[in-house]
Amino acid sequence: MTLSVIFVATALLLVGLAAGFVMHRSDFCMAGAFRDLFLFRSAFMLRPLFLLIVMASVLFETERQLGLIDVPFPFFTAPTLFSLLGGVLFGFGMVIAGGCVMGVLYKLGSGSRPALFALAGLVFGSALYAEWHSYLAPLVKQTTLTKKMTLPQLIGLPALWLVLVFVLLGSTVLWRWWRGGRLQRFSQVTSYLQPWQAALILALLSAVSAAVAGVPFGVTTSYLKWAAGLEQWFFPEHMSGMTLFIVQPVQLVLPFSGAVITGGAGPALDAVALIQYPLIGGIVLGAAFSTWRLREWCWRGRVPVRQLVAAFAGGILMAFGSRLSPGCNVWHLWGGLPIFALSSILFVMGLFPGAWLGSRFIARVVFSKET
Amino acid sequence: MTSPEESVLDIRGQVCPSSLLTTLRLLNMNAESLRRGEMQVRVLTDSRDAVVTIPNAAANMGFHALIEKSPAGHYEVVISHVAN
Repeated sequence: MTLSVIFVATALLLVGLAAGFVMHRSDFCMAGAFRDLFLFRSAFMLRPLFLLIVMASVLFETERQLGLIDVPFPFFTAPTLFSLLGGVLFGFGMVIAGGCVMGVLYKLGSGSRPALFALAGLVFGSALYAEWHSYLAPLVKQTTLTKKMTLPQLIGLPALWLVLVFVLLGSTVLWRWWRGGRLQRFSQVTSYLQPWQAALILALLSAVSAAVAGVPFGVTTSYLKWAAGLEQWFFPEHMSGMTLFIVQPVQLVLPFSGAVITGGAGPALDAVALIQYPLIGGIVLGAAFSTWRLREWCWRGRVPVRQLVAAFAGGILMAFGSRLSPGCNVWHLWGGLPIFALSSILFVMGLFPGAWLGSRFIARVVFSKET
Repeated sequence: MTSPEESVLDIRGQVCPSSLLTTLRLLNMNAESLRRGEMQVRVLTDSRDAVVTIPNAAANMGFHALIEKSPAGHYEVVISHVAN
């Protein structure tokens, strides 16, 4: 079993390192992709994101056909109204925070102080959610829209057919964009990686994560675990009574040994820690390495307090959005959409109005009268 | 010919999209001075995305942008009326 644990941790660390490096070199910011659509009328970054989704769809279906993964992935839930509302909340939060849950990590690795505040907000928001979990969880369940989890299940068609249609249509659109030069842009930064290249690499990394850990990229439960750890330190009696931190719903079958380990949102080093901590650490370190290699580490400049407050508040909103959905933008965009998970379709639909609201808010409030 | 006055905008460390929004605000406020060649704007940024978006926005307003990488690790985008 020890060897299996080392294998999983090492593989996911390497995946994280590569992801952090690639995201920094291409500035693959998903919050910006949605935000800039409304703030600057630019859909540029949504195109490589679409390429990533199409590519991931092909890779996941291939892995499913080979028996490497189960679809739907474990921990995807039936769609609820809160899948949509969580998306709206998350979309608003990620725009005012200046990055999503993954964006915060690679930006932290490259020296961003607001990202540190957003991360603090994510942990604090997770702790706040935990206080209300026992009231919110039944409410979320009451708004379940259907017991089916994916679109193929809902319409009664084999997933392979839907993947083929999606990839065919998607490839046509991508080809037109490529011919029109709309997937590339000129940049004079050192060692710029085109976002479409980053998208292909990230889709591959997501597939590797799914093959190794059984689930696609996901990091937000770790923020709950860190919140639990802090509460255990400062308020141990209060924390010991919170069911969200006690139950262990996650079961991971380790490769090679077949041993099963469990995990949950509590502070222990368990299955969740095994599949998320190396990824998180890898993304931060990968981005830091990229920044260091380019000699772009820069801890200068005055950051207005308003932006730091917005980053912290955005982190709190993202924490709530990801708990209610459940899942963050990466979980749904890179993992759920490619398998046509209904909760992910609703979450992504919610991202658009959330990002629109966030864009209006930052233009009028966060960045007003600043130089 | 006198050198244009230079206005320095230091937005290093700030949250996206502060780089572009703040730069656009400054360019709009000083558009006439920039067009007459009396002024140029030097933007200090550590945002790799801003090094793409700021020159594009400046070009759309009819200005030129020169990009320099500082030994300190950040980028400097110099926006002026004349071609560089």
